Amino acid sequence: MGNIRLMPDHLANKIAAGEVVERPSSVIKELVENSIDANSSWVKVELEEAGLSTIKIADDGDGMTEDDCERAFFRHATSKISSEGDLFRVHTLGFRGEALASIAAVSRLTMRTSTGEQAGNHLILEGGKLISNERSDARKGTEIVVKDLFFNTPARLKYMKTIHTELGHITDVLNRMALSYPKIRFECIHNGKRLFYTSGRGDQRQVISQIYGMQTAKKMLPIQHETLDFEITGFIARPEITRANRQYMSTIVNGRYIRNHMLNKAILRGYHTLLPIGRYPLVVLNIEMDPYLVDVNVHPAKLEVRFSKEKELFEAIERAVKNVFKQQTLIPEIKQDKPKKEKSEQGSFSLQYNHQESDNQVNQIPWEKLMGSHSESQSIFNPEPIKDPTPSYPEPTFSEPDFEDSDEEIEAETIESVKEEKDRVPVLYPVGQAHGTYIIAQNDQGLYLIDQHAAQERIKYEFYREKVGAVPEELQQLLVPLTFEFSKQESIFIQAHQEDLKTVGLFFEPFGEHTYIIRSHPQWFPKGEEEEIIRDMVDQVLENQKVDIKKLREDAAILMSCKRSIKANHHLNYDDMFRLLEDLRQCQDPFTCPHGRPIIIFFSEYELEKMFKRVM
Amino acid sequence: MKFNVQRNQLMESVQDVMKAISSKTAIPILSGMKIDVTEEGVKLTGSDSDISIESFVPAEEEGIVYVENIEPGSIVLQAKYFPEIVRKLPEQTVEIESDEQFNVTIRSGSAEFNLNGQDAQEYPQLPKLHTENSFELSVDLLKDLIRQTVFAVSTSETRPILTGVNMSIKDQKLQFVATDSHRLAGRSIPLEDSANKELFSNIVIPGKSLNELNKILDDTQEKIEISVTENQILFRTKHLNFLSRLLDGNYPETSRLIPEQSKTNVMIDSKELLHSIDRASLLAKESRNNVVKLTTKENTSIEISSNSPEVGKVFEEVTADTIEGEELKISFSAKYMMDALKAINSEKVNISFTGAMRPFIIKPAEHEDEILQLILPVRTY
Repeated sequence: MGNIRLMPDHLANKIAAGEVVERPSSVIKELVENSIDANSSWVKVELEEAGLSTIKIADDGDGMTEDDCERAFFRHATSKISSEGDLFRVHTLGFRGEALASIAAVSRLTMRTSTGEQAGNHLILEGGKLISNERSDARKGTEIVVKDLFFNTPARLKYMKTIHTELGHITDVLNRMALSYPKIRFECIHNGKRLFYTSGRGDQRQVISQIYGMQTAKKMLPIQHETLDFEITGFIARPEITRANRQYMSTIVNGRYIRNHMLNKAILRGYHTLLPIGRYPLVVLNIEMDPYLVDVNVHPAKLEVRFSKEKELFEAIERAVKNVFKQQTLIPEIKQDKPKKEKSEQGSFSLQYNHQESDNQVNQIPWEKLMGSHSESQSIFNPEPIKDPTPSYPEPTFSEPDFEDSDEEIEAETIESVKEEKDRVPVLYPVGQAHGTYIIAQNDQGLYLIDQHAAQERIKYEFYREKVGAVPEELQQLLVPLTFEFSKQESIFIQAHQEDLKTVGLFFEPFGEHTYIIRSHPQWFPKGEEEEIIRDMVDQVLENQKVDIKKLREDAAILMSCKRSIKANHHLNYDDMFRLLEDLRQCQDPFTCPHGRPIIIFFSEYELEKMFKRVM
Repeated sequence: MKFNVQRNQLMESVQDVMKAISSKTAIPILSGMKIDVTEEGVKLTGSDSDISIESFVPAEEEGIVYVENIEPGSIVLQAKYFPEIVRKLPEQTVEIESDEQFNVTIRSGSAEFNLNGQDAQEYPQLPKLHTENSFELSVDLLKDLIRQTVFAVSTSETRPILTGVNMSIKDQKLQFVATDSHRLAGRSIPLEDSANKELFSNIVIPGKSLNELNKILDDTQEKIEISVTENQILFRTKHLNFLSRLLDGNYPETSRLIPEQSKTNVMIDSKELLHSIDRASLLAKESRNNVVKLTTKENTSIEISSNSPEVGKVFEEVTADTIEGEELKISFSAKYMMDALKAINSEKVNISFTGAMRPFIIKPAEHEDEILQLILPVRTY
């Protein structure tokens, strides 16, 4: 007699449960997905002790008939697909037919269900075994109660984290569900307290506001983009709203929340230079595509998927995100005033101006409250009174600068886009300069503060970015060639893309099995970093199938623009400021410097009036 | 445009003009140098819109010909390359020529450079100043005035007016005053020929401009002409025009700040005091604010000390010539004190204190009224 035998069902179920039912949140995910697949219009989740003692999920979905309700607990039993072909056009969230069986295998489960047409059924199961099946009421929909999760798998139970951690996972799951299905009303109750609620009115922005808060939702911008294969909708946050990790980037493919590193990367590319280093945006992106183009049968919890037209999709996303910002004025607006007082320990003389200005009312403002001196020694003066409230500028003594001619190169690149998206930054008239660092400007909308260094950095960056991308074809010969070792897989890629690499000046010669040598490299490679750069280029080829020198040299462009810009604590006169603001208006992305810091801050006229209590 | 010029003369002018040109500017053409050629000679212009410098190479002076083969015209050249090219040219004469497309050819010996120029029409026009309203000084006196005051200007744009030196004429005296609100430096000189002129009342020249001017001018007895308008000041020597903006606003009234009485007077050798403070500041630098302490002693000497707990202590006694008045313990910034002593440039100095928390005055022993340095003490707890 052989040793190999078929596993009994309840054992197989327990093994499957190890994959599918990891923690209470996975139970909720599977059951809520079932509710959604059953066309429910509301789903109510009630929990006790973060689902470890009780999870109750009720919906008003299709329900099950008497025949179905027992069969549902068999392994690989599903109503969602019936033929092999269906597997490639999965419209439902589930299809594997494992979840219910797995959950039942590790808990005490009761289910009431009815299609609404006839009397319902009330099933009780324990550890996957049916205990009883009775008639019950005929409310349309299903209600499943899962008690004592993992009562028969103590090892798993031991690894449950604190209630708060588990609850965190659960809200995370429900948040995603709610974002994916704004038309379904979700409600979550924990130990009798309502945790979470969405209205189910079909407005995704409303869901966002219920999850992330009103202020955040207001700063989200709608996104819409359509290509032949994909339809991208959703909301992306203005760059001023950032988070410290990627978790807040939700991508939903055909109603299914998925995690995909490359999708996130595409989004971040769209945000390029708009975000400070190490910060991530808040994004909710719905991607609709033909189910044929996506393979969801990859991951047991279906968190990962495979796309057939990856490259096109990522490009579409990147473009969609960029387009949104192209049309937007991204000047952060000041909503609250927080006057800060600086403490100062300075002994000071009372200083008087000996003429003229004594009748000037402005002098009466207690200026020292707003501007404490920062020095450590004592100050000779009382802070000086501000001068004439409407400063008269010296007549500009320079001839009108002629923008179009003197700046041809920059102009040539940007003029098209400027024409299309005119007035992203309105015309600004400089008023003056504060601390030699910020330009104060105004127009009929209100008051603007502009960081002069950041502004010029952006102007120069857009100029140099193009310049460094265009690389002269000069090669530096090497006396001792550089040798590179690649894995078998990598070397296959390199052979396949040798032509691409040649166009950027890399000639790989095979030198032994895994080894290649390079006898010359492009002249522009920074000294001492040749090997690193070549590796980077090869990685780019492996990842994107092409080499983008502009991107490799971007750091160089950023550094160059930073070094060649006027710094803070630098006096500018009226003409300089005017010119700088005009140049800034010509930029493609005039709102953040290449490091993602903001350039312009805006105080609307109304906000100013409010701060001075002119309007109450 | 075309001309031949002596390389050394051109080089000198170019170096002066470069002082005004900054590679970081909001108006791109200002990173260039303008060349105007007329029958009289070659004029170079550089500007960063705060400071503008014009330097002139005459066609002929005292019988020596500097510029020849003149075809008048103007061009703007990239200041990044032009000076270096001129400096490294092989021969003593340089030929510069430009065509309508603003292509510039520079020839010297067998070297030939082709540079892309820019239209001089785009270069901002410098304001014309009327030179009637002017007075004269000798160059070395002006340099003294600048040296003895400009170090005290504020370097922070937080209070822009304090980044400049206040120049005023009162009672036939020309006075320079600078302060960064922690210390004050003043110098005045009698002015003979302006007796009746009401030239200007009270103007503020950016400290940076004066620093640059100081660098350009040589120590000579030659005269320099100074003219002032509402928002510009022009310094003019034979071949150089130095134009600077003036700071906008009113300079604080400083005469009131100078204490009239004193409680403790110390007369001391300035070199000895300077060196002693320099030594004490070695340790003081460690404790961030660079503070040294001065204590008067019974036996007409003062003790300079500094203590920075992490590093150690220093004590030094310096014999004074005279000490009058109350006993005193006072702390102050070593840097300010050293700046002041260096500026005074006199063998003996008089220091007048009015208590540990009040500003003190340092004056030279002779010419008392001309130089004044005022420093505010540091409060120690």
